[in-house]
Amino acid sequence: MPDWLATLLISLLKAVLVVLGLLTTFAYMTLIERRLLGRMQLRPGPNRVGPMGLLQPAADAIKSIFKEDLTVTLADKLVYTLAPIVAIGMALTAFGGLPAGPAGSLFGENPWVYNLDTGILALLALTSMGVYGIFLGGWASGSKYPILGGLRSSAQMISYELGMGLSLLGLLMIVGTTSFHGIVGWQAQNGPMILFQSLGFVLFLISSFAETNRTPFDLPEAEQEIVAGYLTEYSAIKWALFQMAEYVNMITASAVMSTLFFGGWKGPQFLNALIPGISDWPLIWLIVKIAFFLFLFIWVRATLPRLRYDQLMRFGWKLVLPLALANTMLTAAFLAFRGSGGLWFLGVLSLAGVLALLVLSDRVRTLWNQPSIRPEGDIVRAGGD
Amino acid sequence: MMLAFILLGALAIVGGVITIAAKNAVHASLGLVGTLLCVAGLFATLNASFLAATQVIVYAGAVMVLFLFVIMLLNANQPVTERDPVPYVRELAGIGGTLLAGAFVVLAFTFKDPRPLAEGAEALRGGSALVMGETLLTRFLLPFEAVSILLLVAIVGAVALVQRPAAQPDGVPDELEEPVGAPQEERRQVPRGAAPALMQTRGAQDGEVRA
Repeated sequence: MPDWLATLLISLLKAVLVVLGLLTTFAYMTLIERRLLGRMQLRPGPNRVGPMGLLQPAADAIKSIFKEDLTVTLADKLVYTLAPIVAIGMALTAFGGLPAGPAGSLFGENPWVYNLDTGILALLALTSMGVYGIFLGGWASGSKYPILGGLRSSAQMISYELGMGLSLLGLLMIVGTTSFHGIVGWQAQNGPMILFQSLGFVLFLISSFAETNRTPFDLPEAEQEIVAGYLTEYSAIKWALFQMAEYVNMITASAVMSTLFFGGWKGPQFLNALIPGISDWPLIWLIVKIAFFLFLFIWVRATLPRLRYDQLMRFGWKLVLPLALANTMLTAAFLAFRGSGGLWFLGVLSLAGVLALLVLSDRVRTLWNQPSIRPEGDIVRAGGD
Repeated sequence: MMLAFILLGALAIVGGVITIAAKNAVHASLGLVGTLLCVAGLFATLNASFLAATQVIVYAGAVMVLFLFVIMLLNANQPVTERDPVPYVRELAGIGGTLLAGAFVVLAFTFKDPRPLAEGAEALRGGSALVMGETLLTRFLLPFEAVSILLLVAIVGAVALVQRPAAQPDGVPDELEEPVGAPQEERRQVPRGAAPALMQTRGAQDGEVRA
């Protein structure tokens, strides 16, 4: 077997394994989410299918595959079918670039599917293509509520993409590379990035919630207002594909946050004293970190109510975006004028920013809670809010 | 790499043909998305990975979504079947296209490398963000800043255009209102909640975006 063929086959095998892993996680994530939500709301949650409800995902899968696949008469057939495929395709592709361990650690192979120099940029590009799935799905359904949901979600995702990208600029300036390996390697030497960029992390976390359409930003499928948004006309396997895309995006967002801010696949160094080399084990640390963030996603869903649409827009444009810009300026100024000082002072500044935001939350809240009230006698103008 | 380049180039042309030939405006813009993605792929095969990622993020991920947004909001995806308002538009477009093609042919045959290919590839260094940033912020600083000011002016201009006084929100047609002179006093008496629902005003088919 020639060399290139072997590489190709191994890459394909890894890609298939990643897809299987992601889809299994999706299936059990739905169960865990429902059980946990149940616990948090003082009810048992689904516990009938199999022991402790463990076979519930299988039942759900069989149901969604064998349900009748409806297509509305007014739907644009081609785009209607294309939309869920785009959504799940982009979601699955985005995950492959994230490293899950040191080079050659997985039975002699690299624990990632592809490795690009522009790692983080490529990931942002892929996730930005994910908007098309939701947006086109909403339009192609040819009915009213889906198109409203689609328009809402595309406006939301474009708005928060800006804050998401900008909140990473400080990190990129400190590390000086866009590849995930470079970022993980830097953190292995200097400590996890959360220590130096806590403000950036908070903004990135919020934007991730908005990008993955999770509560409190699940406007695209606000069932009290627009039935189920872009999902309204979808049924059976196409509906399941959209659900998969949402959960896979959540997993990817968790993995990105772990990689960029919490040291990635590297475990804590002090454990090396107990078991030598444990912090270099592949997969395990990344999975632990992903699981933590997935739990956070569920926890927030059980805690926070949904924002109103105008609040969502104001929150993105009046709070997240300016703060991300401020974080960028702060980091740039610090790096330019620090001389030979250490990075710890930047960490203190960043943390002070987060604390100030928490302490002043009552003052800041008016930014997005109150509609801007025009003074009496001002001309009513088009546009604005 | 060569094979991928040729395939992507062919796909880009197919996308371009769909863009101009599709009857449905949404299909046309999806064709354009395909073309933009293929161009990004072309950049990637030429080792310009930063450019490829930016192409996808900016054009396919943001600009085209806004295009589609407007098409869907205005419900402009139906084909227009009326007579063309511009006379001889096809003939003019044909002449323009021929001239452009001729210019490209001349360009292709008179093109000289500013420097040898190996030297250029050396300077590219994998097309990472580092090289791009260095070049943009040293050698091309002035054009770079000029472009950013241009974009800022465009944003301010868009806001200024949107912020013009609205049509009467009380449902009375403009010609029944008092004549020009004291329109502001008139508006002042309109209570804030009196504006009709947004969808109603939009239904008047004037195709104006207000939101």
